[in-house]
Amino acid sequence: MEILIHGAVSSAIYAMLAVGFTLIFGVARVLNLAHGSFYALGAYGTYVATAILGWPLLPAALMAIALVALFGVVIEKIFIRPLRHSQLGVLMITLAISLVIEQALFLIFGSEYRNVPAFIQSKVTIGGIDIAGQRLLTVAVAVVAIGALYLFIQRTRLGSAILAISQDAEAAKYMGIPSDRIFSLVMAISAALAALAGVMAGPFLSVQPAMHLLPIMKAFAIVIVGGLGSIPGSIVAALMLGYAETIVAYTISSSWTEIVSVLATLLMLVFRPAGIFGKRAAF
Amino acid sequence: MRGLHQLDRSAAIVGTAALGVLAMVPVLFPGNYLIGVLTVAAIYGIWAVSWDFMCGLTGRENFGHALFIGVGAYAAGFMNVQLGWGPWWSLPIAMVLSTAFALLLGFPTLRLRGPYFALAMLSAAVIMQRLMLIFWEYTGGEEGIQDITPLIRNHLHYYWFVLLLLGVITFVLSWLARSRWGLILRAIRGDEATCLAAGIPITRYKIISLVISAALAGLGGALYAHYQLQVSPQLFSIITSITIITMVYVGGMGSIYGPVGGALLLTLLTEGLRDVGEWRLMVYSVLLILIIFFLPNGFIAPLWQRLRATLRGRP
Amino acid sequence: MSQMLLEVEGLDKRFGGLHAVKQLSLQVAKGEIVGILGPNGAGKTTLFNLLTQFIAPDAGRIVFKGHSLRGLKPHRVVALGVARTFQLCRPFPGLSVLENVLVGSLGPRVHHPDLVERAMHLLEQVGLSSKADTAAELLSYGDQRRLEIARALATEPELLLLDEPFAGLGSAEIEAISALIRQLHAEKQLTILLIEHKLREFMQLVSRVIVLDFGEQIADGTPQQVVENPRVIEAYIGKQGAMP
Repeated sequence: MEILIHGAVSSAIYAMLAVGFTLIFGVARVLNLAHGSFYALGAYGTYVATAILGWPLLPAALMAIALVALFGVVIEKIFIRPLRHSQLGVLMITLAISLVIEQALFLIFGSEYRNVPAFIQSKVTIGGIDIAGQRLLTVAVAVVAIGALYLFIQRTRLGSAILAISQDAEAAKYMGIPSDRIFSLVMAISAALAALAGVMAGPFLSVQPAMHLLPIMKAFAIVIVGGLGSIPGSIVAALMLGYAETIVAYTISSSWTEIVSVLATLLMLVFRPAGIFGKRAAF
Repeated sequence: MRGLHQLDRSAAIVGTAALGVLAMVPVLFPGNYLIGVLTVAAIYGIWAVSWDFMCGLTGRENFGHALFIGVGAYAAGFMNVQLGWGPWWSLPIAMVLSTAFALLLGFPTLRLRGPYFALAMLSAAVIMQRLMLIFWEYTGGEEGIQDITPLIRNHLHYYWFVLLLLGVITFVLSWLARSRWGLILRAIRGDEATCLAAGIPITRYKIISLVISAALAGLGGALYAHYQLQVSPQLFSIITSITIITMVYVGGMGSIYGPVGGALLLTLLTEGLRDVGEWRLMVYSVLLILIIFFLPNGFIAPLWQRLRATLRGRP
Repeated sequence: MSQMLLEVEGLDKRFGGLHAVKQLSLQVAKGEIVGILGPNGAGKTTLFNLLTQFIAPDAGRIVFKGHSLRGLKPHRVVALGVARTFQLCRPFPGLSVLENVLVGSLGPRVHHPDLVERAMHLLEQVGLSSKADTAAELLSYGDQRRLEIARALATEPELLLLDEPFAGLGSAEIEAISALIRQLHAEKQLTILLIEHKLREFMQLVSRVIVLDFGEQIADGTPQQVVENPRVIEAYIGKQGAMP
C-alpha cells in the first residue's frame, strides 16, 4: 500500500517534468537539458518569495511559476533559437546554462538545504498509512495540470496549432501559423510545468543547488522510454519509472534507485530508440 | 597541400619547440606548485586530445568521456592499493580496461545519431559513478581510493614523463588525423550511407577510433591517479566531461593540436581563479556558452592558421 | 549462364503492405550498358538498393561474378566490384572534391602507388580537375553528378549502377554526361546499369532496356523493341499520359 501511494507521488512529479520536456521536443525538436533548472528555480523562487520577501504561499508559488515561465521564454529566444539547426549545439548550450544556474544558486544561497513551505502541513491517513498531505496534493495537482494541458491541446485553436507544428513545422509555417510565437508559448508551458513540480515537491524533496540534475536525467529517461514527443507515452513511462523506483527502494535499497532511470535510458537508446510508443506518436 | 600522410613540417617543428619550452618552464621557475599545475594541464591535454580524435573528427560528441578516465584511474587505484601491484602496471591495465569498456559500449551506441550517442555515453558515465558509490566496499565510496603510490617520486621528472607522453600522443594522433584515417572519419561525419557506398566499413572505423580515444583517456586517468595519489567518484562526473569538451572547443574541434593548447590555457586560467574557487565552474560554463556562440571553430587552431598564413605571405 | 556478370533470380521485397519488387529476374553480361526504365514507383531505386545490399531482400538470388551478394554488408559489395551513384547527389560535406574521390579510393580493389595522382586522373576524366580543391558542396548540380561518377569509379568497379544520372540536368549537360558515360564504358570496360525515367535520354547510350512496372519486369529488349511494346506503352500512358 505504501508503495502504491509513494509510487503515485513520484510518478506525479516525474509526469509533470516529463510532459513539459517532451512537449518542447515534440514541437521544436529541442532537447532542453536546462529543464531541470526550471524545476529548481520553481522551488527556489517560492523559497525566496516566502522566506525572504515574506509573501504568503499561494501568491509566492504563482509568481515563481510565472517568472520561471518567462525565464524559459527568454532562454529559448536568446540561446536556443539561434542553434536550432544543431541538436548537439542545443544540447551543449542548455547543459551549460543548467550548470551556470546551478553555480549561481550555489553562490547566492550556498549548499545548505532550503525550506519551501508546504500547502498542506498535516498528515493524512489512507488505508492505515500516514502520508504527508502535501504529497497527496502533488498527485492531485499533477492530474489537474496535465489534464488541463491535454484539454488545451485538443480543444483550442492554439492547441491545434501546436499539434500542427509538431507534425510538420515547415508546412505549418506555410499555413500561416506563427511558429516562433508558438515555440515561446510551448516553452512557457513546459517551464511552468517544471516549476510547478518544483513548487509542489520542494517541501518534501531536497532543495539545494544541484537539485536539477536528477530530475533532468529522469525526465530524459521517461521521455526516451515513452517516445520523444508523445505525451501519453511520457505519462505511461512516468508511471513506470515512479513505481519501478519505489519498488526498488523498498525491496533492494534506495541507493540503487538512481540507477533505474539512467539504466532505462541507456537500454532504451540502445535497443529501441523510438521508445515504447514510437517516434512522433500523436499527442 | 595535398596528399595523405602529410604532417605539416612547420607544425611539427613548432610543436616540438613548444614542448621544449613547456619542459623548461619549471626549471626556470622552480617550485612544486607550478610543476603540479603543469602536470595536471598536460594530463588534461591527453584527455582533450583523445576526445578530439574521436569526436572532433567524426562529429559524434561523447558526453561520457569521463567514464574512460574514471575507469583508468580506478583501475590504477585498485590495482595499486587493493591488490598491491606495482604502480607501473597501472598504465597498460588502465588502457586495456578502458578498451574493454569502449568495445562494450561502442557497439550498441555508435549507431545512434549525434545527440543520442552523446546522452547514451553520459548515461553510462552516470551509472558508473553510481556503481562506484554502491560498491563502496571495493571502491571506497564517496572518498574513493587513497594512498596510491606515485609512479615517479620526483615531481619534475614525472612532469617530464607526462609531457613526453602528451607529445608522442599528440604527434601520432595528428599524423593519423591527416592520413587516410582522418579522411575516413571526416567522411563518416559527412554522410555515413555514402561512405558505405564508397566501400568503407564504417563500423570498424568508428569502433577503433572510440577504442583509441578511450584507451588514451584511461591512460590519462591512470597518470592522474598516480599524481593525485587518490581517486574519487567525481572523476566520472559530467563536470569532467564538460571541462574537457570546453577545452576542445576553445582549442578548435578536429585540429588535434588545438585542444592541447585549450587544455593548457584553461588549466592555467582555472588556477588563476583559484582564489575565487567557487566561481570556477561558472566561468567554464559561461565560457562554453560564449565559445559556442561566437567562436564555434575555437580560438587556438584558427589563430595558428592565421599566423601561418601571414608568415607565409599568403593573402 | 555463368558467363553473365550479374544474375538476379526471383528477387522479392515488401515494405509492409507495399510489394516493391516482385519475383524479379534479370541477367547482365559483361560489357553491356543496360537501361532500367519504368514509371515512378516501379521499384527501380529499390532494385539498386537490393543489389548493393543497402536493403536486404526478402527472397531471391543475386550472383555477381559467381559470388552471392545476399547477406553481405554494403561495403563488401563494393569490395567485390559493384559501385553505385545516388539519385540525389551526395557529396561529402566538409571535404574537397579531391578528398571525396580519395575516400572512394581506399578500398581493397585499388592497387596504385599514388592515390592522389590516381584521383586527379579520375577528376580529369570527368572534367573536374580544375576544381579539385573546391569544397564539394559548393559545386553546381552538374558538377556534383560528375563527382558522384568519379567517386564511384574510384572504387575500381566492374559493374557501375547509375541512378538517374541525368535528373535535374539541362539538355547540354545531359549530352555531356552521356558522352562521358560512353567514354568511360569504352576505356574501362565497365558494365553499366542505368536507371532513367525517360527513354529518349539514353536511347543511344544503352544496348538493352529492361522495363519495370509495379516491381515486375514487363519488357526486355532493344530500345526500339521496348518503345513499340504495347505493355510498356500502356504502363506509361496509364500513369503519366506521356510517351516514354
